[in-house]
This record gives sequence, C-alpha cells and structure tokens, in this order.
Amino acid sequence: MYFAGVDIGSTMTKIVVMDGAGNICSRIVGPTGPEHRRLANEVLTQALEQANLSFGQIDYVVATGYGRVNVPFADRQITELTCHARGVASLFPTVRTAIDIGGQDAKGLKIKDGKLLDFVMNDKCAAGTGRFLEVLADTLGLELDDLGGISLESTKKVPISSTCTIFAQQEVIARISEGLPLEDIVAGLHNALAGRVARMVQRLRVEPDVVLTGGVAKNIGVVKAMKENLGYKILVPPDPLLTGAIGAAILGKEITSKAMAEGVPIERKERHLEEVTFFK
Amino acid sequence: MTQGSKGLAKAKEVYEDRSRRAKELKAEGRKIIGYPCIYVPLEMMTALDLVPYRIYGDMREPITEADRGLQTAFCAIMRSCLDLGLKGKYDFLDGFVAAHSCDPQEKAVRVWASLIEHPYTHFLDVPGTLQAGSWEYFKGQLTALKKTLESFTGKIITQTRLREAIEAHNLQRALVRELYDLRKPDPPLISGAETLQVIKALTSIPVEEGNELLRQVITEVKKRKNGPQKKPARLLVWGNTMDDIAHVETIEGDEANIVMDDHCGGSRAYRTDVELTEDLLDGLTDYYLVKLIPPRTFRVAVLGETKKDWAADLESRFGYIGEYIKGWDVNGVIMQLVRYCDPHGFEQPAIKDYFDSLGIPNTYLEHDYSEGALAPLRTRVQGFLEVIGPKA
Ligand code: SF4
Repeated sequence: MYFAGVDIGSTMTKIVVMDGAGNICSRIVGPTGPEHRRLANEVLTQALEQANLSFGQIDYVVATGYGRVNVPFADRQITELTCHARGVASLFPTVRTAIDIGGQDAKGLKIKDGKLLDFVMNDKCAAGTGRFLEVLADTLGLELDDLGGISLESTKKVPISSTCTIFAQQEVIARISEGLPLEDIVAGLHNALAGRVARMVQRLRVEPDVVLTGGVAKNIGVVKAMKENLGYKILVPPDPLLTGAIGAAILGKEITSKAMAEGVPIERKERHLEEVTFFK
Repeated sequence: MTQGSKGLAKAKEVYEDRSRRAKELKAEGRKIIGYPCIYVPLEMMTALDLVPYRIYGDMREPITEADRGLQTAFCAIMRSCLDLGLKGKYDFLDGFVAAHSCDPQEKAVRVWASLIEHPYTHFLDVPGTLQAGSWEYFKGQLTALKKTLESFTGKIITQTRLREAIEAHNLQRALVRELYDLRKPDPPLISGAETLQVIKALTSIPVEEGNELLRQVITEVKKRKNGPQKKPARLLVWGNTMDDIAHVETIEGDEANIVMDDHCGGSRAYRTDVELTEDLLDGLTDYYLVKLIPPRTFRVAVLGETKKDWAADLESRFGYIGEYIKGWDVNGVIMQLVRYCDPHGFEQPAIKDYFDSLGIPNTYLEHDYSEGALAPLRTRVQGFLEVIGPKA
C-alpha cells in the first residue's frame, strides 16, 4: 500500500510518498508559486515517477498546509498543525514542543504522546518568519543560505530592537553605516527572529524535547539563537521542511489501517490526478 | 422591507440592509439614536419614542478615514465604527448615546463627537468596579441621561412609559433566551450564523418590531425541517463583538455548530431582566451596573473582600458560562478576540483557567477585524477541532 502527503505551504510545496511499512519512497520539495499551487498534480506526478508508481497505486492522499484546499485529488484535508505534530512525533517520539518556522508563518505545537494538544500561530506579520530573513539577507547583499554560517563567527551580536521587518531593515542599514561587523549584525537578526518566535511559543509553556522544523530550521544561527532564547536544546530533523508532508502521509496510512481493522470501506473520493480548476 | 417576508427571511433582510427601517421611520418623523454598546439603557429611549440603533463596525470595509482620529494599534471595532461615521454611513442618526464600556470606546466616541455633528450626544460614565458608592454614582449618571434625553425631545419620561419600555425590552430578552433554548438539541434548530442575523436585526429596529420578529422566528424554527446538520462539534464562542455572519460561518464550517455564545453581539444583552422596582431607575441601575457581565467591570466573589481564592473568584465571575456549557452540551470553547481589546484581553487568561478547571477543551484566537483575517482563522479553528475530535 502507498500513501501520499501533500503539504502546500505559502512558499514551498512538499510531497512525500510512503509505503505501508512507513518507508519514504519519494520526496519532493519545490517552490509553491502561483503556478504550482494550481499544479499540485504535476508535483505529485514527479514524486510518483521518482518512486516508480502510478497514481492508481496510491491508496490515500492527505493534503495539508495553507494551500490544502487546492488539491482536488486529495482524499482528505487535514491542517498543517495536526500533520506537523504527527510528522515530528514520528521522528522524535519524545517531543513535547515543536516549532515550525516557514516562509510566511510560524507555529508552536504542544505535543504529548504523539498527539497535538494545543498550538499558537503567527500568520499575519512577516517578522518571526522566514520572510524576515529573506528580506534582510537581501538588504545585506547575502545569500539566505549563508546567513547561518556567517553568524557563527560573531563575537558580540548587535541588538536589533525592532522585530518589525521594515524597521529592522532600517536598523540594519544604520548599523552597517556605523561599520559594525556583518557577522554580529546577522547574529543580531537571528536573535530578533528567535526571540519573537520564542515569546509566541512560550504561551504554550514550552517543555523539552523541543524540535525546530520548517525552512528556517536549516539555518544553524537561528537554531543557536532559539536555544539561547528558550533555554533548551533544539532538535532538528534531517529534512526539516518535510515533517508536514510526512505527518500527512502517516495520517493517511492510519486512516486506512483503522478503516481496514474495523472492516469498514475506506472513505475515499472518486479522484483523478487533476489540477485545481478555480483559477480558470 | 419586502412585503410579507417573515421570520428568518425577514431577519436576513434586515441584517443585509440594516438602516433601511431606521431611515423609513426617520422619514415618518421618528428620531434615531445610535449607540455603540450594550451598556446604553435603551429603555429610556424607547420610553420617549426614540429609535435606538446600534452602531457596528464593518469588517468588509477597509479602515481609511479613522486614521485621522485614532491610532492603528487601537480597538479595531471602534476604529471601524468611527471610520464608517466619517464616511457618512451613520449620517441619518439624530444623535448618539455612548457609555464608558472601556477606554477605547470613550476615546472613539469623543473623537466621533468632535468630528461629526449630531443634534444630540450624551456620554454615560459607568464605574469600572462594584464598590460602595458605585451604585449611587451610576444612578446619578442615569438621571443625567434621562434629563438630556428629555430636553432633546421636549418630553418627559413618565413612570408609566418607562415601565412599559422596560417590559418591552424584558420581553425581548425573554424571547431571545427562548430562541437560544432552541440551540440545545443536537443538531441545534438554528445555526450560529442565523442567530447572529436575528440579533443584529433586533438592534436595528424598534423593540416592538423586534419582539414580533422574534415570535415569528421562534415559531418558524420550532417546526422547521431544514435546520442545521448534525456536526461533530458543539461550540461555545466567547469574546468581544461578533457582527458578521461570515465570521460565524468560518468557525462553524462543516465540522461545528456554534450552539451558545457569550459576546457583545450575542447573548450578553439578553441574559437577565431589568427588575421592575418602585423607583424604576433603581432596576435600571442594578441591571446596567451589576447584572451585565462583560469583562469591563471588575468583580470579586464577595464585595469588598480582598482575600484571594482563585477558584471561588473564577466561579463567581464565570459560573454562568459553566451553566451554558452544561445546558447546551458544549464540547469545545473558542475564545475569539478582535485585536487590541484590553478589557477582554485581560480577562482571557482568567477565563482560560476557568475552562481548564472544568476540563473543557478551549482555544484562544486573536485576529484582525477584516474579511481577509477569516481564512487564516479557519486553519486555527480546524486545528482545534482536530485536537478535540468529534463529540462523544
Ligand atoms: S470592550 Fe474591547 S472590543 Fe469592545 S469597545 Fe472596548 S476595546 Fe473595543
């Protein structure tokens, strides 16, 4: 049996195809973009090719993420909150707090025994999301992927007082003109971002183990700043972008197994691998 | 109003074109008095044949003009009210009465009064605590309101007319409670969105017309066959004002029925009655100062007591919501707040403690006052419903 988890985030689309034993047969990460939102079917086709499978062999498709409603071929839509929690717990069974920092949102999840108990979310302000770093990397003339490494050189991080992206940008420009070292400014930015997310997540009363996921978790500087802000070791999965899609695939697998165990037919849509049509 | 439309259809019509009836009445010579919140004693206006008309914001209208008078990090509901006022949407009002329900409201209406001319305005001060002296002070405030209303209309509020007005408004409260009782079955006989439509209609038309509308709605709902579907969750929503059915529908979706509410655009104004005391102002004082329960008034379990017993304090402040949860068989609570509301924001951690002490799953959703804020809200609501699972 095979299951697909399709996670359409605001910035990236992630797909995982999983077999009945829970092994990942293929994984795809690509930019969402306006076209891709419509063409989730094409991304899944790529994933299927990678796994050498046909769509008919997929027993259950769960769509999640911001764009979950744009996946007409999904059997079920489940929020990214539940999917992330499930995905993270499958990788780190002892997780109690998961923090996901995506391109345009950030969320904190409180988890116990693999189950989501509570959550907080910021989906309004770019500060405290990957977008914050994107804008500021641009201001500094740096590649996003280089920020983490650069910040590790810092000996004295520059305090960035404002966590508003626009004001932080002005502040950074002022600091550059003061001649402060780049690495200290970058470390300051990571701290501003981590501080903002940490304050939001503290509403959940953070407990270890703490896992950080999402594209921003790839930035070692943010991981370090997060540890300093929360006072706990931060675990990061090998593929921090994929936890939502993994969770979605696992949930699909669980829904299917439960239906089979109870001897009831699997509630599934009559589906075809098609693009969403509301744009037409 | 379409000739002959009745009950829910009529409520929908009034909801969709709120000011139409008020403008008709104005053309007939009646005076329309706006009020922004449930602390304004409508009984006094009704007793003088004035038509009270609630001032709401509009989350579909981007706030542009209000920036002239109010800062952006400010109660968005009040900002929106002022914005609509400045855009002329409330030009048909002959005046307004506002109350000190909170600082943002006071500031907003004072700015309103300084920027928009009305023949009549009155500001009612409401004490923020219940202590010795509050009661007398507030009765004095009501007496002052009575006087300015009388001089505006050139008429006297007689005891007989005031009594009749209180009875009419009490009848409205009783009918609304009867309507809310129809949400107790599973599925409820009336949805959260339909209920909001009715309540908003009631605040747009004279009390007698509202009571007739309620009678029609109750009769219709009791025997309808096309009511809401049974859904996995039965929710209670708590918070500041909900005033747009799209907001309610965002929460209800396919998975939940809102079966009870405690917010300023819902049940709060109808929870209890004004007592018909010998001096009718006493009953009104008691009602608007003591019996209304929004979080803007500080309450302790025993008046004057400073000893801290958190559980007893919570019970005395929120016990009525515990009754709602039992009576309406609620399995999840959504605390929802439009941003920058201090009174509710301060109350929220306490009320969360109360819900936790009852073991009722709950979540807190803070959001902007705009149509665009509804889609992200949907994800949070769905996430919460996934956490609580279907009702056992
Ligand atoms: S109580 Fe809250 S929502 Fe109501 S007017 Fe005051 S600040 Fe605004």
